Amino acid sequence: MSVKIGLEIHVQLNTKTKLFCRCPTKETEAPNEHTCPVCLGFPGSKPMLNKKAVEYAIMVARALNCKVNRTFIFSRKNYFYPDLPKNFQITQYEFPLAVDGFVDVNGKRIRIKRVHLEEDPGRLIHVGGDITTANYVLVDYNRSGIPLVEIVTEPDFESGKEAREFLQELSTMLEYIGVFDKEREGSMRVDANVSVEGGERVEIKNISGFADVEKALNYEILRQRMILKGGGKVGRETRHFDEKTKVTHVLRRKEFEEDYGYIPEPDLVVYSLDEAELKEIFARLPELPSQRVRRIVSRYSIPENLARVIVYKEKALADFFEECCKYFEDYVEIAKWVATDLLKCLNWHGISVKETKITPQGFVEMLKMIKNGEITARLGKEIIKQYVSTGKHPRKILEEMGIERIEESKLREICEEVLRENEKAANDYKNGRKEALQFLIGIVLKKTKGSADPKSAAKVLREMLES
Amino acid sequence: MQNMELASYIEEAINGEVDVESLVERVEREVKEIQEGYECFITLANDIRQQVKNLEKTRKGKLFGVFVSVKDNICTKGLRTTAGSKILENYVPPFDATCVEKVKKEGGIIVGKTAMDEFGFGTFCVNTPFSIPKNPFDKSRSCGGSSGGAGCISRVANFPHVAIAESTGGSISCPACFCGVVGLTPTYGRVSRWGLIDYANSLDKIGCMGSCVKDVALLLEVIAGYDERDSTSLKTPVENYLHALKEVDEDSKIVERMRVGVPKEYFAEGVDEKISSKVWDAIKILESEGIPYEEISLPTTHYALPAYYIIAMAEASTNLAKYCGMRYGLHLRLEGNYDEYFSKVRAQGFGEEAKRRILLGTFARMAGYREAYYLKACKVRRKLVNEFKQAFSKFDALLAPTMPILPPKFEEIEKLTPAQAYAMDILTVAPNLAGVPMVSVPCGLVNGLPVGLHILGDHLQEKKILQLAYFFERVRKEKV
Repeated sequence: MSVKIGLEIHVQLNTKTKLFCRCPTKETEAPNEHTCPVCLGFPGSKPMLNKKAVEYAIMVARALNCKVNRTFIFSRKNYFYPDLPKNFQITQYEFPLAVDGFVDVNGKRIRIKRVHLEEDPGRLIHVGGDITTANYVLVDYNRSGIPLVEIVTEPDFESGKEAREFLQELSTMLEYIGVFDKEREGSMRVDANVSVEGGERVEIKNISGFADVEKALNYEILRQRMILKGGGKVGRETRHFDEKTKVTHVLRRKEFEEDYGYIPEPDLVVYSLDEAELKEIFARLPELPSQRVRRIVSRYSIPENLARVIVYKEKALADFFEECCKYFEDYVEIAKWVATDLLKCLNWHGISVKETKITPQGFVEMLKMIKNGEITARLGKEIIKQYVSTGKHPRKILEEMGIERIEESKLREICEEVLRENEKAANDYKNGRKEALQFLIGIVLKKTKGSADPKSAAKVLREMLES
Repeated sequence: MQNMELASYIEEAINGEVDVESLVERVEREVKEIQEGYECFITLANDIRQQVKNLEKTRKGKLFGVFVSVKDNICTKGLRTTAGSKILENYVPPFDATCVEKVKKEGGIIVGKTAMDEFGFGTFCVNTPFSIPKNPFDKSRSCGGSSGGAGCISRVANFPHVAIAESTGGSISCPACFCGVVGLTPTYGRVSRWGLIDYANSLDKIGCMGSCVKDVALLLEVIAGYDERDSTSLKTPVENYLHALKEVDEDSKIVERMRVGVPKEYFAEGVDEKISSKVWDAIKILESEGIPYEEISLPTTHYALPAYYIIAMAEASTNLAKYCGMRYGLHLRLEGNYDEYFSKVRAQGFGEEAKRRILLGTFARMAGYREAYYLKACKVRRKLVNEFKQAFSKFDALLAPTMPILPPKFEEIEKLTPAQAYAMDILTVAPNLAGVPMVSVPCGLVNGLPVGLHILGDHLQEKKILQLAYFFERVRKEKV
């Protein structure tokens, strides 16, 4: 039983003001604080289009390889719901902003059907339960009118995993364009349409979080397969994904296509851009993650997997990497350290490299210390941890650790001492049990509190044992 | 006072020859008497004295000391605005419409909110739970709609007054005609709609009514112009309309060079013959003054009525969705789910005509019918615009009767079916759909009731039609 999945993704654009009024979009604790007659739909108010939002949406559409229309209009999508101040949503229906694009994700092409701009409704707060069990509902219109781009894919996904990977790609892409704040709650919301061969299309509404999208889809595929295998029927319906229990519930059954009675929005004029304006907007589109991976691989000759890890973690990390490359020629070494140890520390703290005090210069300084044998790689790992959490310069950290570089003569002294104290191991080695060397190196490191370089210690020990 | 033009009054008021403050008491008394006799208003301003006091400090403005009435679908900050609907019975807007803001800035005094059909849905100003204004010529007759209150007060005010009105499909021309006053509907987009409670956004136009052409020209000069809060408002600079009329006084050749067309469809079946003949008299007067006319045909006129009602109702049905008892206006006890609550509020708050238009408008937008109704109506509209454009490439103005009938009696209106009532808009909907400007000027009486001459112009040619109307008003006065 083959599976077909299509996604509708709603992304909040991070413009300063709302789509049709000048209310701020920034988050606030006080409900209904960022509202005005326009985003509350007061009688006599009229929408006024935010041009920045149009620009942002065009950049998104371009990044998704869409055909951007030079003229487009807005429409009224009519339905009654308490979060919708006018009881219609200003969106695009005929003549959307852009159509027919694609994104390649892990070698698979996902087709984009359309990209359009619309206003976010307000937010319903279900008190004392969820949508099906709440005692009562409050409405906060702070969100009402925040610009959304809706991205509609063709039903090109075959699993929850593919959908998740696409969303990750999309999210990074949007972050690179700089039009989206992924940290903001509800800044990306997904409706998924799933159909399993032999059944009808089922829509799961309003899932936030990529992991939840995958879970919701996996659950839904399983549920539909079970029904179909048992000889049952899967009918058209809309379902809700419960974030707590990770299962879907039916919201309403759909006997026929919903009729929104669209008409063109008569308060807004036809929006036209000339070729030059469009080009100007396209030119502002920054390098996208997939392009950056390609460029980084070719420019710095580092392995693609490392480049991907760095680029897709976050834009700031890739910027950090490239900045480091200005101060140190061993690009592969930088990439390894950024993609492994630095990344681990950042993930452990759950922060962005932007939120730390580490600098490319300081980071490179440490790598140089390792390269010229001043410190060991092991010690380097320890220093990174402290560097990320305290922001102190690596040299300072080293100083505070009370560890100095071990001179060759000192190392020989220590090695001799170790061999004296561990005769048995030394004899084992001489008798052909080569693994005994590791034990001896370990003791050397212990004695030097990790400041000795294991490679150098091995070299010295071997010389002494084999002479 | 009534025969005094506003322009001269304003000059005297600014100079201090007329003391506006000492006028206030009289105006307040008269407004109350008018309200008792004619029911022009839904709400009267109770801060007239304060407004005048504030004015005295500045002593300037194009409308200094003029008492301005505002149709009740135009928002006035702090002054109740119902749009003639029970669902907004207690609605007090938190902001002024742009036109109101401009009038206040130019020294105008807001006297009150004039009666209208609920949301503008009507031709006789009877579809409302509030005041139903009585015709100044015969109180048993209608003032016309939907700006009936504005028409009535423009006729009966015996103090310096001008009215802000609004037209979607003829709501300025019709009451101007029935009340024997001048009514100007500007080009769509000439006056900002910010603060206008929508009926059909692509058709709604704020305009002016007054006792003479000059007063109307003056008000237009004040309220017209681009406004970033209304995306459909036009950037073309506003002309000095009042000065344009003075030019006619100085040199009537300006008008005599004009060419006018008379579309035969506007004198066809359904138009009262006595009205036709009165309007022909007017056309002949102009001809005798050196303005020749030519008879022409505008065949698409025939389709204008259904196209207008489909588009207007489709838009209206979406505009009225917001009135659901949640954020403003009528509130009821919260019971049931939101669908049930909304339905209850709407069932109680809307009048019969509003409900009819919501249902018909929703139907015209539905999948499966949209193509046949809404989209087809949009095509007719396009065709109509082209037809007018073609006519105006040849003529400076088109002349026609404003309304096909004399002001009907209230008892006659009750007997009309909705379709018969809609048919009364036959002469006004086409230019309203095309968004061209038009002015209705009185051109005589039939059976003691006023008849209007409708002068239509090309987009943004308000100056021309006002000049022609002004010229006609003058020569007619001389003839009488």
